[in-house]
Amino acid sequence: MSTTVFEKDRLPELQAQQRKRPWRKRPPVFTWSVALAVVIPAAIAAVLLFSTSIPDPIVMVVFYMPLQLIAAGVAALVSKGRHGVADSAIYVLAIGGSIFSLVVLISLIGTLFVNGLKAFSTQFLFQNNVYINPTTSLDYGGVGHAILGTLLVVLISMVFAIPIGIATAIYVTEVRGRAVPYVRFFVQAMSGVPSVVAGLFILTVLILSGALSSSALAGGLAYAILMLPTVARTAEEVLRLIPEDLRTGALALGSTRARTVLRVVLPAAKTGIITAIVLGMARVIGETAPLLLVIGYSDSTELNPFSSPISSLPTYIFANVDQPYPNAVTRAWGAALVLIILVGILFVIARILGRGKVK
Amino acid sequence: MSTAEFEPSVETLDRVEVLGSPTEGQPAPEIELDARDLSVWFGKRKVLEGVNIAFPKNSVTALIGPSGCGKSTFIRTLNRLHELIPGAALAGEVLYEGSDIYSPEIDPTHIRLKIGMVFQKPNPFPSMSIRGNVLSGLKLAGIKRPNHDDIVEETLTAAGLWNEVKDRLGATAGELSGGQAQRLVIARALAVQPHILLMDEPCSALDPASTLKIEETIRELSKDITIIIVTHNMQQAVRVSDYTAFFLAAENEPGHVVEQGPTTEIFGNPRDQRTLDYVNGRFG
Repeated sequence: MSTTVFEKDRLPELQAQQRKRPWRKRPPVFTWSVALAVVIPAAIAAVLLFSTSIPDPIVMVVFYMPLQLIAAGVAALVSKGRHGVADSAIYVLAIGGSIFSLVVLISLIGTLFVNGLKAFSTQFLFQNNVYINPTTSLDYGGVGHAILGTLLVVLISMVFAIPIGIATAIYVTEVRGRAVPYVRFFVQAMSGVPSVVAGLFILTVLILSGALSSSALAGGLAYAILMLPTVARTAEEVLRLIPEDLRTGALALGSTRARTVLRVVLPAAKTGIITAIVLGMARVIGETAPLLLVIGYSDSTELNPFSSPISSLPTYIFANVDQPYPNAVTRAWGAALVLIILVGILFVIARILGRGKVK
Repeated sequence: MSTAEFEPSVETLDRVEVLGSPTEGQPAPEIELDARDLSVWFGKRKVLEGVNIAFPKNSVTALIGPSGCGKSTFIRTLNRLHELIPGAALAGEVLYEGSDIYSPEIDPTHIRLKIGMVFQKPNPFPSMSIRGNVLSGLKLAGIKRPNHDDIVEETLTAAGLWNEVKDRLGATAGELSGGQAQRLVIARALAVQPHILLMDEPCSALDPASTLKIEETIRELSKDITIIIVTHNMQQAVRVSDYTAFFLAAENEPGHVVEQGPTTEIFGNPRDQRTLDYVNGRFG
């Protein structure tokens, strides 16, 4: 075989080439079989939905999904042969599964908005519950005191749980001391502690013994027990992902272990650590049981986190939702909506903090 | 480049002469680092046995040999990185400025500060900018030196990267290509002003142009510091080194040094048949 050289006289012809996407072209049999596989099950489902009395979820799960699976399988068999069948089944199940979870999520948030917005107003966000009884008009009172309470309790729990959680993760992944297996075992066991037990623990050890009164501090400590294992385990996973190269690289520059962790490993894991904190926050923020036991109840705005009983969104919801008066129930919905929005805001703040700039 | 293609030509050997290799009759060079009877274990497995190499001050020594013969392990014992691996053990001593770096009163961070290292895989710190990476050694070791801008420019120039990055020193180190990242970590290692620089196959992932730049850097640096480089590239060993040590490990046996000496001798007139075979690409 002889060598060839680029032919310069073909240049104009080559430069005139059009952009194409040949991989998008499908044979007609593929187009047709896929079109039929989409239309036929959908049509049958539509008929069942609108002209029979079979409940909608049963139509979708019992009739539509299997039909769609079979139709996709047949279409794959026709257009791609036998090796396409498994592909099509996975495709249908994956899309079906994601739509299902999306529907659940959207209907949940939708219900929350529909019911919660009735209570929503500026005064609902900023006023407290003093002078309000379950029958008072929705034009008066709000959850400002409960928002403040929840923020205080979560903040206090973060102060305790985040440093301890990250320190635990550093011990397990960076220090690698002898107690690692035991530490991991206890952290794992702790993540199985029911939230009400965390509340009972604080109640018996700190409140009934007289060391603390019902307060945001007590609530924060109970939350910290729940938050700690989530933060520790997530941070551990994240630190494990940091390549060993970076640690050796830093040590090879004459760095101490502590500086390696603080200046190289933790900054490299920053986004993941923030995720760990967010997950820890999300784990506790809606927990009701421990707060019912340890923070007491208050209708007024409390700013003293150490000794006064305080309200929080979960306990406010709990107190209002089982009242026989529609206005109280609507207030509970409104508080639930506020809680979800609060979680959303905290997520966004964490993401912005996580982005950061390099030094 | 595969070693099988290498034939030592008159041309390459001439180049060694041009570089000015040590010749007999000159006074014995001052020894900066001296490994004596060094044996190394991973768990119960002995991977190196009785290595004796003396590294003359301000010279370049190439460590060659087939994969798995313990070159990288050896180089990591020279700045006490070996001990970070669980199950690591060691016998013998490594003398630096006359005292054993493994004696109990020596602080390993101090040793690593004086004996820097560049790894096979570029490992810039992703959370820092290019500038931050260069200065990271100073920060990590807690060294205060004025004129950070000068340090950044000097070391990046020495590593042959300055012109490519001078307009984006604040950019993330993750944006650099493999070759650029490797030159960045060389600059980072130089910024702490080590007396010795260990390089573990620094060019194995680089294109020929970057490799050439790094080799030029090595020659330039060897005026002031001692360099020990592991390489699988025979021509590179010939081009950059003054001395060469040939490592070899028989199957299931620990590695040892078969032959060592001036690079011209090892490549031009080896005494051991195995060395001759290896440098001529007949095995390994």
